[in-house]
Amino acid sequence: MDLERFRERFGDKVKIDKNILTLADKKDLIRVVKFVSKYFDVLYMLIVVHRPPKFELNYIFSRYQDQEIIQIKVEISDKENIASISNIFKSAEWEEREAYDMFGIVFRDHPDLRRILLPEDWPGHPMRKDFVVTEEIKHWTGLDLKF
Amino acid sequence: MKVDDAVPNEFSYPGLGEIFITNTRKFINKVLSWGRANSLWPLTFGTSCCAIEMMVYGATKVDADRLGNLFIGDSPRQADMIFVSGTITKKMARRLLTVYQQMPAPKYVVAVGACNISGGLFWDSYNVIDGIDRIMPVDVYIPGCPPRPEQFLDAVKVLQKLINENKTRGGVYGPREI
Amino acid sequence: MGEIELNIGPVHPATHGVLRLKARVEKDTVLGGDVEIGYLHRAMEKIAEQRLFNSFFPNVDKLEYVSALNWEILYASVLEKALGIDIPPRAKYIRVILAEIQRIMSHLIFIGAFGQDLGNITVFTWALRERELLMDIVEKISGGRLAPMYLRVGGTEYDLPEGFDSMILPVLDRLEEKVNKDYKAVTYENSLFKMRTKGVGVLTRDTVKKYGITGPNMRASGIERDLRRSEPYFVYDSLDFDIPVEDAGDSYARFMVRIREIQESIKILRQAVRALPKGNYINKQPWMFKIPPTEAFVRQECPRGEGAMFLVTDGGMKAYRLKIRSPSFYTVQAMPEIIKGARVADLFTIIASLDPVMGEVDR
Repeated sequence: MDLERFRERFGDKVKIDKNILTLADKKDLIRVVKFVSKYFDVLYMLIVVHRPPKFELNYIFSRYQDQEIIQIKVEISDKENIASISNIFKSAEWEEREAYDMFGIVFRDHPDLRRILLPEDWPGHPMRKDFVVTEEIKHWTGLDLKF
Repeated sequence: MKVDDAVPNEFSYPGLGEIFITNTRKFINKVLSWGRANSLWPLTFGTSCCAIEMMVYGATKVDADRLGNLFIGDSPRQADMIFVSGTITKKMARRLLTVYQQMPAPKYVVAVGACNISGGLFWDSYNVIDGIDRIMPVDVYIPGCPPRPEQFLDAVKVLQKLINENKTRGGVYGPREI
Repeated sequence: MGEIELNIGPVHPATHGVLRLKARVEKDTVLGGDVEIGYLHRAMEKIAEQRLFNSFFPNVDKLEYVSALNWEILYASVLEKALGIDIPPRAKYIRVILAEIQRIMSHLIFIGAFGQDLGNITVFTWALRERELLMDIVEKISGGRLAPMYLRVGGTEYDLPEGFDSMILPVLDRLEEKVNKDYKAVTYENSLFKMRTKGVGVLTRDTVKKYGITGPNMRASGIERDLRRSEPYFVYDSLDFDIPVEDAGDSYARFMVRIREIQESIKILRQAVRALPKGNYINKQPWMFKIPPTEAFVRQECPRGEGAMFLVTDGGMKAYRLKIRSPSFYTVQAMPEIIKGARVADLFTIIASLDPVMGEVDR
């Protein structure tokens, strides 16, 4: 797909490399995603990579007529939060809940942000790089959890 | 010379009444064990891949009906034993223990697959229990990942032998200590 | 009088796994509900960062445990794309043959479980009997019934056994005869079955596009899309097959799409077995290897929809981040909207016709 229209519209806030768009600032995310929603139908995947001390979020969008995809990259630091896109793409609700569950990223304006795969009183966020699986965690039976 | 008849180390010949009562008790236990061993109804419980092999065990090629193992027990109040098949995670452990405590005694447990013996393929995961004998008493273990359906027949035969010799862990009086 | 909350809990008769559905019910109609998952979360993605690349193959085929070889093919493809190597033509044909065999096996379990939830035990025993014939073939090829760890990077571990065409062609003839004649009278031309499934659980095109549902559920609502046709991988562009599409969007249409897919897969298998070339079956790589820092993204057509994997490496012998996209995750997300307005006795028909497998929802 021709990504030149992104360069015309947003100038030098984005950097283009094959079909990957890298945003320079996380505040432009909502405007770029609204422009994407005119051409693409659905959020396909959301991938979070932890490179301490930063998180790198990759959003992949796709559509139903043909096989085009587009990938958008944003970088945020460990202690910030980011806006949620579930008002524009409805399939992003459960993906963002899973990112909060595994990594601890808080999405502002999400309708229902709580844990999805682990019980609600599980201590910690397991997919971070500083969560090491020790012997005590392996032998814990989990009968004292309430949920 | 006094005769102390309450000393436990003394040998005393049993009377006719005692012989009669002991033999009748043994005979009744044998009949009840034969009845329990030949009509074990399992609870339909399965979480993941080993449950597919349990479905094949209940179908027609390897027949579960020939040993009296009918899969009618959809409710735990009407089941005798439980095949715990599939990985048990920490979120699921409390629900499994609740279902086990709702079954009436005497009840028996069979652990199916490598995930339930010692954690299996997922031994270094943060959310899987390594072996369910940390939370409940187990009678028979079936190794394999997943085991063949014919191994389920073998396990039921071993369990029947244990019931007839009165060597199970869960029994008439409930579970003994782990 | 008011609404009550009905809890269909995680301990269920063992067909669709551990899914918890809290439905709000008033008299006999369902007003909505809430779905809770996570009872089978085994932490596959964290284990992928702790094992070597080749040691992760046994874990991948416990993801979708009724059709394991499709996900092994996907994981091997993403490793080959990151390394940048090619596979020989005989290996491509072997992978197509195995993928189509596993697709037929997955649809046969769907027919059996769907019948059992409706009370039809006859078709459950018939479908499992046909599945045993195909499982014998998979056991002769690879040694394992449900978990064949048969794929390697660059090809497959062993070659196909001798006399493979005389093993598989009689089985396909028998399958075709049973699906076209015997199953008709008990399922899709039976008036009781039609009364219970027509008009139940309608999935509209807008709901499909809103939630990102793919696979046979999408094709039963009128959208024609199949990754084997629009983005052909391996040798699918030289084989001749159709894509079945229905319009109604109810449970009967979802059942019919899967019956037609079995017939199309039998056609593909006959062509592929006849055109199998001779030669090398693997492009051999060392057991422990390193991958330079890249990102790789591959998607393929699994029996339940479009599956995808995204791999991030950093130059070592283990993966840095592996993300798995499963198609049933999006189907289960849309469930509270599909069951609105149905009756309580139809709830199990709707859940069974959407065909989720909890091993890939929770990973």
